[in-house]
Amino acid sequence: MELRFTLNGEETSVEADGQTLLVDAIRGLGSTGTKEGCGVGVCGLCTVLVDELPVSSCIYLALCAEGRTVYTVEGLTAREPDLLDAFVGEEGMQCGICTPGHVVSTYALKQDHPSATPEEIRHYMAGNLCRCTGYQTILAAVQAYLG
Amino acid sequence: MLVAGGTSIGVLLKNRLIEPEVLVYLGHVPNLTAISEQPDGALRLGSMATLRDIARSPLAASEAPSLVAAAEKVGNPRVRAVATIGGAIVHGDPRQDVPPVMLALGAVVTVQGPRGTREIPMSEFLTGFMESAVEDDEIVLSVEVPSRRNRREAYTRFTPNSEDDYPTVGVAASLRISATGEVEDALIALGGVDSHAIAVAEAGSVLVGSRMEQSDIERAAQIASLIAEPSDDSRGSESYKRSMIEVCTRRTLVACLEQ
Repeated sequence: MELRFTLNGEETSVEADGQTLLVDAIRGLGSTGTKEGCGVGVCGLCTVLVDELPVSSCIYLALCAEGRTVYTVEGLTAREPDLLDAFVGEEGMQCGICTPGHVVSTYALKQDHPSATPEEIRHYMAGNLCRCTGYQTILAAVQAYLG
Repeated sequence: MLVAGGTSIGVLLKNRLIEPEVLVYLGHVPNLTAISEQPDGALRLGSMATLRDIARSPLAASEAPSLVAAAEKVGNPRVRAVATIGGAIVHGDPRQDVPPVMLALGAVVTVQGPRGTREIPMSEFLTGFMESAVEDDEIVLSVEVPSRRNRREAYTRFTPNSEDDYPTVGVAASLRISATGEVEDALIALGGVDSHAIAVAEAGSVLVGSRMEQSDIERAAQIASLIAEPSDDSRGSESYKRSMIEVCTRRTLVACLEQ
């Protein structure tokens, strides 16, 4: 079936079936900023926004995105330059594989908890894993973005 | 097969544990997401209300705070953004947080199908490992939590591994204490320690008529730990889980007492 949704501000359509996952649909369209890690929705690498809410695209059926607005790290950081600046400024990354997921989750955090304390930030971001940084610089980036 | 939030179905499909012929997505069906107060004071949750919706609902916070406490801790923000209350109880994963809370609150589920609409109390809803009383051609419309009145309620989730893990043990309790200090009713339910979330009726009933002294609480906690049949797995051995049931039941009851 043909699925229609808005990807990073543009109307898009993709050929999919009932089992197509959103991460594959997005990456198949050339938006490879979104990564797949664990494949079961735990590590957070695949985080994207669907209708402004964060989802694990690796377990999100593409059919559920029909008619919805999807933002990946590429479109979101184009829309929110402060978000990118915070991560670059605080060097909130090393290898970078987890960074798109962290960036998207950070945006979602600010929408839901704009005045989050450091403890609340840690709880919210606990669903995004990083194997390189030890999290300190990532948390600093989140803090910088929250302002 | 119906798709609600899709978080459980996505994983099951990838692991080829289910092979549905047809998937029907409920995300655009109107009138399934509302969280509202009924004339009799009951809290009605549309089956497609997300855990995030519930966690952020002031009405739910005042009428069913133990459900909010559970909903706001499930998994991670990505799960909570799409996972639904209907999906949580129909999927019936014995490890999940929400089902024992709904058991302890005495919730009632409204289900609809070709044969009409029916109401199923939570005590009859969970029928086995990832099985519910919903037939293949039925859909959950809503879940109702009885009017709070002076109900005290709490939920304790014990997750020794990581924040976003399923609980090793989840204990939900609700009780009412009379003006003269006697327990009028008490319900305790456990998650993560049996083939589905279970109500431990005998643990609750020893509290009824008592004044919730330390000895009453300890007895109820001990009974709860003996009724459950936990299995050895990566979240703990059977004996460890039994010990944690006792500890967490005690803590949950104390939390109710202190309200």
